[in-house]
Amino acid sequence: MAAAAAAAAASSLTTPKLTFPSLQSLYRKLPLSFPLSLSSSSSLPLPKTLTTTTTSLSSRRPLSHHRRRHLTTRAEAENGAEASRHYDFDLFTIGAGSGGVRASRFAANFGASVAVCELPFSTVSSETTGGVGGTCVLRGCVPKKLLVYASKYAHEFDESRGFGWKYDSDPLHDWDTLMANKNAELQRLTGIYKNILNNAGVTLIEGRGKIVDPHTVDVDGKLYSARHILISVGGRPFIPDIPGSEYVIDSDAALDLPSKPKKIAIVGGGYIALEFAGIFNGLKSDVHVFIRQKKVLRGFDEEIRDFVAEQMSLRGIELHTEESPQAIIKSADGSLSLKTNKGTVEGFSHVMFATGRRPNTKNLGLESVGVKMTNNGAIEVDEYSCTSVPSIWAVGDVTDRINLTPVALMEGVALAKTLFQNEPTKPDYRAVPSAVFSQPPIGQVGLTEEQATKEYGDIDVFTANFRPLKATLSGLPDRVFMKLIVCAKTNKVLGLNMCGEDSPEIVQGFAVAIKAGLTKEDFDSTVGIHPTAAEEFVTMRTPTRKIREHPPAEGKTDHDVKAAAGV
Amino acid sequence: MLIDGEVNHTNQVEEEAHFDFDLFVIGAGSGGVRAARFSANYGAKVGICELPFHPISSEVIGGVGGTCVIRGCVPKKILVYGANFGGEIEDAKNYGWELNEKVDYNWKKLLQKKTDEIIRLNGIYKRLLSNAGVKLYEGEGKIVGPNEVEVTQLDGTKLSYSAKHILIATGSRAQRLAIPGQELAITSDEALSLEDLPKRAVVFGGGYIAVEFASIWRGMGATVDLFFRKELPLRGFDDEMRDVVARNLEGRGINLHPRTNLTELTKTEKGIKIYTDHKEELLADVVLFATGRAPNTKRLNLEAVGVELDNAGAVKVDEYSRTNIPTIWAVGDVTNRMNLTPVALMEGTCFAKTVFAGQPTKPDYNHIPCAVFSIPPFSVVGLSEEQALEQANGDVLVFTSSFNPMKNTISGRQEKTVMKLVVDAETDKVLGASMCGPDAPEIMQGIAVALKCGATKQQFDSTVGIHPSAAEEFVTMRSVTRRVTASGKPKANT
Repeated sequence: MAAAAAAAAASSLTTPKLTFPSLQSLYRKLPLSFPLSLSSSSSLPLPKTLTTTTTSLSSRRPLSHHRRRHLTTRAEAENGAEASRHYDFDLFTIGAGSGGVRASRFAANFGASVAVCELPFSTVSSETTGGVGGTCVLRGCVPKKLLVYASKYAHEFDESRGFGWKYDSDPLHDWDTLMANKNAELQRLTGIYKNILNNAGVTLIEGRGKIVDPHTVDVDGKLYSARHILISVGGRPFIPDIPGSEYVIDSDAALDLPSKPKKIAIVGGGYIALEFAGIFNGLKSDVHVFIRQKKVLRGFDEEIRDFVAEQMSLRGIELHTEESPQAIIKSADGSLSLKTNKGTVEGFSHVMFATGRRPNTKNLGLESVGVKMTNNGAIEVDEYSCTSVPSIWAVGDVTDRINLTPVALMEGVALAKTLFQNEPTKPDYRAVPSAVFSQPPIGQVGLTEEQATKEYGDIDVFTANFRPLKATLSGLPDRVFMKLIVCAKTNKVLGLNMCGEDSPEIVQGFAVAIKAGLTKEDFDSTVGIHPTAAEEFVTMRTPTRKIREHPPAEGKTDHDVKAAAGV
Repeated sequence: MLIDGEVNHTNQVEEEAHFDFDLFVIGAGSGGVRAARFSANYGAKVGICELPFHPISSEVIGGVGGTCVIRGCVPKKILVYGANFGGEIEDAKNYGWELNEKVDYNWKKLLQKKTDEIIRLNGIYKRLLSNAGVKLYEGEGKIVGPNEVEVTQLDGTKLSYSAKHILIATGSRAQRLAIPGQELAITSDEALSLEDLPKRAVVFGGGYIAVEFASIWRGMGATVDLFFRKELPLRGFDDEMRDVVARNLEGRGINLHPRTNLTELTKTEKGIKIYTDHKEELLADVVLFATGRAPNTKRLNLEAVGVELDNAGAVKVDEYSRTNIPTIWAVGDVTNRMNLTPVALMEGTCFAKTVFAGQPTKPDYNHIPCAVFSIPPFSVVGLSEEQALEQANGDVLVFTSSFNPMKNTISGRQEKTVMKLVVDAETDKVLGASMCGPDAPEIMQGIAVALKCGATKQQFDSTVGIHPSAAEEFVTMRSVTRRVTASGKPKANT
């Protein structure tokens, strides 16, 4: 949570390991710009060359997951000349979103002199607007979740009726109150993020950063030299160029609409589309979702995809599958029609496209300094987040690896450690959990059934599909779906998926277990917390199906009927 | 594997099997039903007896499903759900929802639906038993001999059965405090079935039942006064977290009266008058005694067969749940080990494995998570800071996070969520985790798996967070709050 993150941020400034002044000053003088030529560093772990500092550093508890690497003498020699050059900053970060702020703060805490530049604040991003905090805080996770909270009350009012609460009339929602309170919170958060940077001793420069050469950044005409440059400019919604696309809003705009949509078309089947469908549905808009595929949420577990679509439909969202948008037409009365390959749906007050996001790599000067990009415009980086130019690095959505805030944070920390703590660190992308804040929400960690089958062949699948205690009273058709995917050979839990109330909160703890490589027996040996939904994950006794490469997949389905209290 | 239906697998014990049953279970609550079903699945011929159904228990009233389903976890959670909407309705306003100042509440409707639900569950449990091939008798069970039980049916007729093994799973019952006027008070049984929602409720007790009912009534709009003897409620839990719970209960509008005993209750025209040892007087519509539960061992005839009880009246058992009489066993609250449904289930499963699957199995009482469904709820797994200091060899690292949940940033609710990890400084193992805040019980289950398997702080830290969630705080606690030595004094406070 952002507020919590802020608190944690403040406290981590006082981390004991960062407060030895002698170490900090040592860092500043050290030639820290070593190229992480993968071939050299991965082949020979040569003895430490920065003896005094590295000894004191390595006396810390070793990290079990990251094999420690060492600077090579060659690396130092190569940069001997560069090290003597004076730079304005050890690190110049372009973009103060999740990844950029994290990397900057940690770098500063490790003793580096750091500057970060960011565009002026606006709730809607563009080539000239952004804001400290970035997508997550201003146009993503945070405002989205606030609107999810707001919209979820509609469902809670419905539920509460089943529990005896009575409303004289249907509760009405006032859009302006919500927007005002949401924006006040965003202003507060962007202020907190500025404080975090300030407290860490990071210089914040407002303006648009552009790379001039491998060690120089131009911010609105002013030049800054830096030993390292970090690109963390994130991504932005992408709207395909079809007739009428000028009438279309993206997720930035959808989070800050002047009025509530009466009837909205949402084009896209990804998590953003589903989250907004839930938000507007809860706030009593008439919601239509148009997806090109047969199913929503490509890449997720197939059963989860089916389940969430069904639950969303039951809550009143209309899903139009296998419909591709072709044009948006504005009628004389101002309403919008969406023309697809299957026909035209009329009468929308809003048409929103959630058709993907693109890295913000334009006009950054990347081509001129030779930073390589992928076909979709993402910056190519190695495992240490280094670009094709050794002094230029990139983290977060601009690299299009796993586009999640906590992943950008991880990449930012890893980079700061690599550059300024003599501890080359690769981000670890195994078992990264994630959530979709649809209604009901989804939480997942590890592999889907399809991925696990492909990778491991023989797997056991445990599922539970039940009506939660709350729904038995509310009378609503809400259900919960849970799934564990277990390697038949090793009994390791490979993946865990859930769709239903509280899924994101529930999955976090299990993510620790799965990351630690725990087995199904470990799950089974854990006592349940009764009565919760989560306890189902430790009481799945009988596999729903066993998938075997050879002999033919055993289709034996042995559904253990779930008694409410699991006795 | 489950073996449903008729039981034809008892042949191997034929030579000695002149018993009517391989197993006769007295009490069809969580532990009894689990042990009966699993034993039957392992091939045993099983009978079980239970008192007739009613929401309020007595010496002669019970019901298949037991405390958990009829008078505990399930109805309690239903009322907590109902009460929780009270806070939600308040919170919704700043999110733009236009609601009346006071939203009405129909208690009778909830009560009826709650009763419908437990009747439904009672039926499910009966079906579970019959599907497993367990023979169910309605009536009061007594032990007549080491291999003999007697069931007194509703009409007074007595049935007598011999059994190779007898399992006592009769649970426990709420107790009243012996003070003048105690008959005016109710226990949790009645509290779950009150005809009318009290306007003024007094709760006496500091345990989880007391704080749960205080939260339920408060959430539904009653004035609630909670009296308890100690400085803080929830004795036995982490002290720092107890303080958090107390503050959150107060924040939700419950009046706390620590270090206070009730001394007398009298009936007046305006309600029940409560007297305390602090010379306070208070009027209430309902007075709940949540002052402990006692094992149901009185009418089982245990003395006659020589089954040993402890001072609290609980059946004494060994690590395999066996009493001092080799053919008589006991699981669940009647043994007063750890009185939780999932623990009774574990004990029941272990019993069945031990006795009927040839796999002697001891229940494992380490790292048992549990939850208090107060509003907001509280959940823990593993050791409290105090326990950790007692048990750890060296220093203990304490990580805490106290934050304003994102939802509150707009709702304006002044309530901090607090999380805590207690870590062994030497081994880096996470010894205990606790949380007070929304969704705590759901969040703690996965953490419990990690702790059960000896997860280290490093493994927590290496797990990526789910953003934005409350739970992600458990994997992002970077800075140690304090390091505590076994002597109990913080070494450094950063």
